[in-house]
Amino acid sequence: MYKDKLDRILLKVQKPSRYIGGELNSIEKDPEKVTMRFAFCFPDTYDIGMSHLGMKILYSLINSVPEYWCERVFMPLPDMEEQMRKNDILLYGLESLEPIRNCDFIGFTLQYELSFSNILAMLDLAGLPVYAKDREALTPIVCAGGPCVCNSEPIADFVDICILGEGEEINLELMRLLEQCKAEGVSKHEFLVRAAQIEGIYVPSLYDVQYNEDCTIKSIIPLEGAPAKVRKRIIADFDSVYYPETFVVPFSEIVHDRAVVEVLRGCIRGCRFCQAGYFYRPFREKSVDTIKKETVSVCETTGYDEVSLTSLSTSDHSEIEKMLACLADYSDAARVNLSLPSMRIDRFSEELLDRIKSVRKSGLTFAPEAGTQRLRDVINKNITEENIMNGCRIAFEGGYTAVKLYFMLGLPTETMEDIEGIAELCQRIIDLYYSLPSRPKGKGIKISVSLSTFIPKPFTPFQFEPQPTEDVIKERQKHLMEVVNTKKVQVSRSHFDVTHLEAALARGDRRLSAVIYAAWKKGCKLDGWTEYYHYDKWLEAFSECGIDPSFYVNRQRSYDEILPWDHMDLLIDKSFFVRENKRAHEAQTTPNCREKCSGCGVSRCIGRACFPNG
Amino acid sequence: METKNIRVFFSKTGRAVYISHLDLYRLFQRAIKRAKLPIWETEGFNPHVYITFALPLALGTAGLCESMDTKLTEDISTDELVQRFNDALPRDIRVLSAAEPVRKATEIALSEYEAEFDCDSEAFTKFLSAEHIPAEKKTKRGIAELDLKQHLNVLEQRPGYLRFSFPSGAEFNINAGLLFDAFEKISGTEIYSLHITRTAIKCSDGKIFG
Repeated sequence: MYKDKLDRILLKVQKPSRYIGGELNSIEKDPEKVTMRFAFCFPDTYDIGMSHLGMKILYSLINSVPEYWCERVFMPLPDMEEQMRKNDILLYGLESLEPIRNCDFIGFTLQYELSFSNILAMLDLAGLPVYAKDREALTPIVCAGGPCVCNSEPIADFVDICILGEGEEINLELMRLLEQCKAEGVSKHEFLVRAAQIEGIYVPSLYDVQYNEDCTIKSIIPLEGAPAKVRKRIIADFDSVYYPETFVVPFSEIVHDRAVVEVLRGCIRGCRFCQAGYFYRPFREKSVDTIKKETVSVCETTGYDEVSLTSLSTSDHSEIEKMLACLADYSDAARVNLSLPSMRIDRFSEELLDRIKSVRKSGLTFAPEAGTQRLRDVINKNITEENIMNGCRIAFEGGYTAVKLYFMLGLPTETMEDIEGIAELCQRIIDLYYSLPSRPKGKGIKISVSLSTFIPKPFTPFQFEPQPTEDVIKERQKHLMEVVNTKKVQVSRSHFDVTHLEAALARGDRRLSAVIYAAWKKGCKLDGWTEYYHYDKWLEAFSECGIDPSFYVNRQRSYDEILPWDHMDLLIDKSFFVRENKRAHEAQTTPNCREKCSGCGVSRCIGRACFPNG
Repeated sequence: METKNIRVFFSKTGRAVYISHLDLYRLFQRAIKRAKLPIWETEGFNPHVYITFALPLALGTAGLCESMDTKLTEDISTDELVQRFNDALPRDIRVLSAAEPVRKATEIALSEYEAEFDCDSEAFTKFLSAEHIPAEKKTKRGIAELDLKQHLNVLEQRPGYLRFSFPSGAEFNINAGLLFDAFEKISGTEIYSLHITRTAIKCSDGKIFG
């Protein structure tokens, strides 16, 4: 164990407590008494990874099995990496402080494409070959899960196994299989062939991908009995799904430093740009009793004074009012603040505002996503201008003077009129503010516009769409800056360089493994961090591999093209995405799932209607 | 009931030595919330449990006699207080005892330390016997030069081991680690491992801070 070696270096790095473990509720087991060891790697820094709910759930779940031990592993920042390399310290787990290369599983959770290079960096720091084919021994098995696994092709050469869908059941099944294979002494290849038979397991090396001359995919052929389509795993009974009684409480402050309770999974909305909205289908929610029980448990065992009710759209819980009333009783008595992220502006009411006002009155964030009704219909946001105005009015009358609005630039069918619509919408909100007699006295209004760039993602109706080119994006950004002519509106925009890479990786195929390798060799890692991101090196890597990123970013795909992720089955029909894409181009909206089933295919797969009246 | 002042003594060792002073403050606040201890809360717009630390401990240094002052709103036995704290704290922070404060934090004059280390012993002895040990100390106003030798009191020395004291307190405080930084700088040799532990905090009359 590295304790002594770490004592020698930790005072030389920033915020050392994140590299030493030992936090409250972290789990240490006797290595002699465990049969399977799982290194759960979050391919970003501790401060970010420790905020992630999925890791907390799966960490506790694996550790609930007495003979299995799950440890946490994060990407060290460059100052720490330098010290580790200088002192021959391999990447280690925070619980045992032992090298993770001795674990049975090294599992990465992939939350965003810009963390791909960190997988290579972490495997290398662990003292392991980055290419799966070069790791010949049965263990460690390198696996990956999380939403990016719906198209894991760009990292296909590096990981042994991908886990598609929700990990609460499948992770333990996979661990039991490896335990058995270890006992039998089978080869890694044999293990992979057997693992591919588990529903939700994707073994990239068991698929042969052939390309056409124009670089599109010709065929994806499963080998050695692997399924032609890998079917996403979902938890059927979400109300009784495993949820940790407690969380590890970091010593230092992290990004989301609070208790979290997941109130629902999936989303009824069907926004056409949103991958999560399709990835996590079907919509399932927890009962108010379960939410209350989990809230109390997590708060009491961590000592946090804030709990966040999280989901893709918390205000869509069918019993949101009852839930909040019930939780307010507890939170008032226990002096815990409730926070409600992910609120839809059309579900915003005086009552909801009262609930969240007690926490803090900093500002409210809404996401209209587009400046005109036409474009909001194209993306199926299903929010009207009236909804937006009404939400803002409630906020202003409730004492708020600042609102933050999220917009996307570069959406399909977008014109300059839609860009101007953003500025006009902001002006109407300003006018509304000053028209209200009950507005906060003596205070001006501040609108922060956060302008991100649309990135077409797999498993969305926009998966066929091009992202506009650099010139177009920059021109539209510039135009918005020109038409916003009041200091009351502040615009922040995303950097083209970063969205460009994310767009290429999101819809990439296996040929991108070579590019990621080349970029990593040039020193690319921590790409999500502005200070460490090197766009020029990525472009060099693409060019050296003879690959033009615009093939992935700016190309319109036909509906019948074989997409790199077509052998993944998210329980949603490709024909549904085609249908939705066509409706988008006609600016036709689709009602939310609770109102009317849109026939995406999920209900057929789960063998029941998603909603009682469906 | 009237609030009752209480001083809680604790150790901070092992992995916990890397917890910064600010983080330690939050850690105890949460521990109090978890343990549901009857601790007085400040009044005002944003109430929070009242705790204050007599003397901060440098990052990386372990402590066996650290203390935190707080106020109880209900009578609770010392044993129960210690037990409930320990059930709610991470393993490497242990509450050892609690008692009504005797001395004021302003009376603190020095800290005693034990250091175990691995370096060139001869060079270290030579370093300690020099007439002056110049070092740089970070202060709020910038970097100040000082002579550690003037303030250092060696209590016990053998190869790889040193027991010593440095001035401590709100007015003037010397971080024990400075001595070893100065050694590396002056001797040009490296310390391969170093563990420093604060073993006692004393008042100007030489008595233990209690």
